[in-house]
Order: sequence, then structure tokens, then C-alpha cells
Amino acid sequence: VILVGELSLWVALLMAAWGATVSFAGGQLRRSDLIQSGERAIYATLAMVVLASIGLWTALLTHDFSIKYVASFTSANLPVIYTITAFWGGQSGSLLFWALILAVFSAITLWTNRTRNRELMPYVSGTLALILVFFLAAICLGSNPYERLDWIPPDGRGLNPQLQNPGMAIHPPNLYFGYISTSIPFAFAIAALLTRRLDAEWLAAVRRWALFSWFFLTVGITLGMWWAYVELGWGGYWAWDPVENASLLPWLVNTAFLHSIMVQEKRGMLRKWNVTLVASAFLLSIFGTFITRSGVISSVHSFAQSTVGWWFAGFLLVCIALTAYLVTTRLKDLRAQAELESMLSREAAFLYNNLVLIGIAFSVLWGTIFPILSEAVRGEKITVGPPFFNTVNVPLGLLLLLLTGIGPLIAWRRASVANLKRQFTAPVTAAVAIGVMLFALGVHNLAALLSYTFGALVLTTVIQEFSKGVGARHRMYGESRLVALPRLVARNRRRYGGYIVHVGVVIIFAAFAGMAFKREYDLTLKAGESKTVIDPWGRRWTFLSQGISRYNVLNREVTAIALDLTRDGKTAGVLTSEKRQHVDTRGAPTFEPSTEVGIKGSFRQDVYVVLAGVRNVDDAEIRVSFNPLVRWVWLGGTLMALGGLVVMWPAADKRRVQTGYVAVLKPQQLPQAQRDVDLVGA
Amino acid sequence: MTISRREFLLGVPAVAWSGFALSVNARAQSPVQTFSGPMANAQEVYRPVKLEAKPGARPGMTPEQRDELEHRIKCQCGCVLDVFTCRTTDFSCSVSPAMHGDVVALVDGGYTAPEILAAFQTAYGERVLMEPVKSGFNLLGYTMPFIVLGSGALVIAALLRRWRSRAPATVVVAEREVSATSEELARLDAAVRSDA
Repeated sequence: VILVGELSLWVALLMAAWGATVSFAGGQLRRSDLIQSGERAIYATLAMVVLASIGLWTALLTHDFSIKYVASFTSANLPVIYTITAFWGGQSGSLLFWALILAVFSAITLWTNRTRNRELMPYVSGTLALILVFFLAAICLGSNPYERLDWIPPDGRGLNPQLQNPGMAIHPPNLYFGYISTSIPFAFAIAALLTRRLDAEWLAAVRRWALFSWFFLTVGITLGMWWAYVELGWGGYWAWDPVENASLLPWLVNTAFLHSIMVQEKRGMLRKWNVTLVASAFLLSIFGTFITRSGVISSVHSFAQSTVGWWFAGFLLVCIALTAYLVTTRLKDLRAQAELESMLSREAAFLYNNLVLIGIAFSVLWGTIFPILSEAVRGEKITVGPPFFNTVNVPLGLLLLLLTGIGPLIAWRRASVANLKRQFTAPVTAAVAIGVMLFALGVHNLAALLSYTFGALVLTTVIQEFSKGVGARHRMYGESRLVALPRLVARNRRRYGGYIVHVGVVIIFAAFAGMAFKREYDLTLKAGESKTVIDPWGRRWTFLSQGISRYNVLNREVTAIALDLTRDGKTAGVLTSEKRQHVDTRGAPTFEPSTEVGIKGSFRQDVYVVLAGVRNVDDAEIRVSFNPLVRWVWLGGTLMALGGLVVMWPAADKRRVQTGYVAVLKPQQLPQAQRDVDLVGA
Repeated sequence: MTISRREFLLGVPAVAWSGFALSVNARAQSPVQTFSGPMANAQEVYRPVKLEAKPGARPGMTPEQRDELEHRIKCQCGCVLDVFTCRTTDFSCSVSPAMHGDVVALVDGGYTAPEILAAFQTAYGERVLMEPVKSGFNLLGYTMPFIVLGSGALVIAALLRRWRSRAPATVVVAEREVSATSEELARLDAAVRSDA
């Protein structure tokens, strides 16, 4: 199986190359046989990549340590679930995983468009095949997971302990789904540019994929934050690390696109902009991969430095050049069909929203690459850490939050003063009231105060929109409000799903602002000793050390501390924190020790304890952090994903066609009784 | 020249095998993969930051303010964390405790936060600071996002002006009494809204 898998990679490369060649040729020559051959080549590529993946999984599960990848990322005592997930734990395996998902998505795209978008499809399949060629070439020639060792080690090195976490088992696939699915809209954009068919047809084809990408990036980023929070032990969930930034960039651009696409659909405007956004999301995904794999920027998440990263740099440059050429040579075809009538209109609000989203994306990108730029210009290495990103992005984020509240309140085309007055009265009143109340309660951190004030504006906007919609249904159809609410959402999933996402955004901003009140303490405790500290809410917490324990379990040696907690004199439970030294089957240490954080969570705050070190056998050095509102980040992320699902859900009219009252005109040859009108279902 | 499907499929293994052989050299040069960067030894990267204590020196900041200061200094062990976070997170790091010791000594020696940051910068270079100094070329780093945003806003404003000048003039229609019932108005409102 392993040998078949290895050979399959090469066959897949050839198949993809064939697919790219004949697809483009078929499109140019309008030869259906070539077009069909190109599509079949992609299906064949998928089959070959599946075989290659099965081969690697077989090698991992049978502990074939003659394969370098297996020896580098697994060991005989690694739990089975992490042996399976080690597939994407290293450079070459994760590239194969990327190729696998891309091949699956490409095949799905071809299958779902087998009777639609036929003018575009040769170029879509050609572009997707070309991307597959790149990935398969990078695997076969740059970073092959089937590379053999000259000798067979008795055991493997094992998987990095920090990757031995359920979150890490599912976080990378989610991010990969998000990154890779940007390829499909990109392929459609290239096809539309090549064929000059730049009407709304290609947009309709890509909208669902852009949403799909956005959804998985949202889930992946949230899971990544959760993993960093519980596993890395530094006390936060977002460090503005280059690899974290790399995942945020396509998410921001996709978010901008999902807003601006509405303007093109409704008014035929922003056509150049939408093509650019679709292409940018894909290019930024490739850029992120370049950062992760080239080692050009240091990151806690990076794979080891490798030449394969530079393959991505080359590919990125080629894609940028190609896209820029196609867009600039088709500017005439991308001319807007309508023009903006007022600065106070929904379309203008979307423009402002796009400007801020892209501004944030630029500032993240800029901060990520600025160390390289600075070193090139000044010859001085610098660090661009969280303080820089917070300085630049907090004002932009607040502006975005404000626009999230304002946008849905403004009418399409032109908002009248009466409209503005009616729409804004309640949200602005609520926002001002919340702001004043919080200020009076002692919240004087400006960013936090504005965050909660604008959050109140957005929430009231959403409540107002739901309330109006439910009220209208109640009046029109006599539905109770409880019945009207789900029906309202089902009637216009896109709009109300979007509002659910907005609520998620508010919750996340509120949680981010909560971290402004974080408190940290650095304590040293002997066994039986206690110390008392104060949390951001003014409550007194006492930490009593039960002492240090040391023991072996599964594939690790554990040093743990247990702490008795009391809050304002009342027992509040026990918290443990561990340091784990993972060992191989011979008991030899592998990797650096890792941290297991002790977290006592609630919706108010997390008490977060890290065992930082042990001195003189029994003196524990611990860091205690009180992290306010962290649970709201997970809740907000979940709500955003849920909103995305609501938006993505297939339209009700398509699914209910068999059960609703649908008039179907029957052909003439049917019996008279059935001919005129057929009421299907009840 | 045309190639039949049979010829193509027969040719695939041969080409694949030759490609496989060609890749051997390329693969021989690929480095070992690890997940995270190596942790440096304190002896290799640590540079003492020592200054004479000021006459009659007393600590000029509280332990909390000192911890806050350590959040602004980057650990040099190869991680991406600041000194406070690294030393309270990773007990295998020997660099952050040494840097912490220097911070404590400087605080006890009566030095202020800017003086301590300057001393660290002298010893390690600007990379020891968690954010670039706000001067010279770095100002470009801080201002560029806002310059881009401002430029974008100007472009949008110009476009809006152009589009508005081209847009058809609004016809002013005298307001008329609406004879619809409130129910009809609600229905119209709902219909318009569901189209949004």
C-alpha cells in the first residue's frame, strides 16, 4: 500500500498536468472532448491523491519508521488518534493533506457544475489543475512525505506534545478547508476574466464557496485561539504571531467580499473590487503558507525552515502577476452597471465597511512583514509584537464595530432624514446609555468603553431589525412571535444569518475589551503555604499549595501542583497545573517540556494558573492570571460560525419544492385531469 | 500528433518512475522537520545589562509596574514572548530568568522604565523591545496603515463625488396623503425589507 501511495503521487502530478493542459486547450479550441478529458483528469488526480494519502496513513499506523516523516512525527507509544492526525503535523504530510482537500474540492466543483457555467468550466478546471500541479510538484520534488531513511530507527521522535491536543487535531483541518476553498472562487475569477464573462453568473457560483471558506476560517481561527489558550500557557489566545496573522488575512478579505458581493448583486457595482477581493483571498492564503513554511519570519507555529517555502513565494508572484495582468486588461469589461447616488446609502456603507476591513488586513500584513522591511532598509532587526498591533488595530477595529451597527440601518440607494431618524433613535439611545452607565461604574479605559458602547449600538440594531421583522409577520399572518422568529430567519437566511454573525462579533469585541482588565501575579509557594491576590472584580482569592507531585503516565513524566482555592473566604475548588516531559518508548526525553494550564472558568472570568517552575524540590513558581470574559470569545466564535451556517443553508424554496403548494404546468400529452395545474403536497 | 488514452496510461508509470529518480537529489537536501524553533542557551544569547546603582537608589516602581515593564522586553531564547510571560510560562528557558534578574537589579538601582528599556536596547539592539521605537523609519510602520486607510477614504470620496455627479437628478415629488391602511403599509414594509 505504501509503495502504491508513493507512486500515486507521481501519477497524480502527471494527471493534474494533463488536466491543466487539455482544459485550457479545450476552452480555447472549444473542443468538448478535451474539456471532458481535463475534467476526468481531475477526478483521476483525486483518486491518485486519495491513494497517496491512504499510503501515508498506513505507514503512520503501522509505524514504518523507515519513512522519515513517520519517524519524525510519531512514536510507537503515540496514541492512535494523534498518530492519525500526525498526517498534517509536519511539513510534507500537511502539504499532501492540502493536495488531498484541494483535489476533493476541485472534484466537487466540477461535479456540481457539470450542467452549469459550462462556458467558464474549462478554465475553472484548468486553473484548479494548475494549482494542483503546483502542490503536487512541491510535494514530489520539494518535500516528499515518502522520503526514506538510510537506516530504520527502533522508535520515532514522536509528535510535538503541544500538538497532542484535541483542539490541534481539528484546528488545522478547519484552517486548511478555509484556505484551500479560496482556490475555487479564485479559479472562477480567473475563468471569468479569461472569458470576459464578468456578469453576475460567476459571482453566484463563487458566493457559496466564499462563505464556506469564511465559515471554516472562522471555526479554525476560534479553535486555534482556544488551543493557544489552553495549551501554550502564555495566558492569552491571540499573540499577533505571523502564523495567526496569516489566518486572519484571508478571513478579513473574505468578510469584505461577502459584504461587497451584495452591492454587485443588487446594483451591478464594485465589479473590479470583487474580482480583486476574490483573488486577494487566495493570494493571501498562499502568502500565509509561505510564511509558515519558509521560516522567513520567526513564529511559534512555524514548520522548520525549508526550501519548499520559497516554492510558495514563486507561485505567489506568478499568481499576482497573472491576476494583475488579467484585471488590468479587462477593466472595460469590469465597468459598473450603476452608480452610487448617495453617500448615505447601504451601498456606500458597504464601501466604508470594505475600506476598514481591508485597512485592517493591510495593517496586519504590514506589521507582519515590517521586520523584514526594516532589516532590509536599516539593517536593524526589530520586533513587531502585540503592542504594535494593538496600537494600530484597536482604533480600526472600533471603527469597524461602529460601522457594523450603522450599516444595516441605512436604506439602499439613498437614505432620507426621516429614515435615518426612525432607524437610529433606539440604537443610539441604547449605546449612549450603556456608555454613560459604564463610565459611571468606573470603566475609564477608552478602548473598552467605546467597544461596549458600539457593541450596544450593534446589538440594539440587530434586536430592532429582528423585532420589526417579527412584528411585520405577526401583523400580516397573525403568527405568534415565537413562530414568526424562526420563519423570519428562514425567509431571509442571508440577512438574518448575517445579523447573528454581527451578534457574535459584538460578543467577541466585548470579550477582547475585557482583557484590558486582566490581572497577573507571579507567586512562589512552598507546600502548605498560601498567598492572597485580588481579581479585576475586587474579590480576594487565596491560593494554598498542596505541594508538588511527580509521576509517570502514558508517554510522559509529569510534575504537577495542586492548589486549594478560596474566594472571599469561601472554598472555590482545586486547580492543578502540570509540566509534562514527553518520553519515547525507552524513556528518553523528547521535545521541550510542555505546559498543562489549570483553568477555573466562568462567564465572568477565567482563573488561569501555570506552573512555571520548581526550585529547591518543593518551591513552586506559579503565574496566576485573572482573564475576564474569555468564555465569551468561544461563545462569540461559535455564534459567528452558527450565523455563517444559517447564511449557507440551502434556500427554503429549493428544499420545500416537494411539500409546498407549487403550481407545475404539465405537458400537453398528459391526461386532461393533470394537465393544467398540479398542486404538489399539502 | 494524437495520443490515445491507452498510450497515455502506459506512458504514465515510465514517466513517473523517471521523475521519482530525478527527485532523489532534490530530496536529499531537504532539512529535518521540527515544529517549533530551537530554544537558545542563555550562555549563547544572554547579554548582561548592568548599570551602577544610582546614589541613594530606591526602587522607582512597584512589582506590578516592573512586571508591566517586562511585558515590553522580548525574551531572547528564540520564543516570541516577552520576558515576564516567558519566565512565568516555560521553566526550561534560562534566558528570561537572567533578563528578569537584570530588570530587578536596574529597578532596585533606581532606574526608570525608559532608562531600563534604553539599557536593554544598547545591549541587544532594538529587537529586544516588543514594539519598534516610535521614531525614524519605524514611524512609517505606525502610520502606513492609517495613510492607506486615509488614501482609500479619499479615493472613495472622489468616486462618490464622480458617481453622484453622473447619477440621474432626483425628481422632487410633492408629498401626498397616503390612503393605505396601517396593515397595508406594514405589508409593504415587510415586502421591501425581505428584499434587502
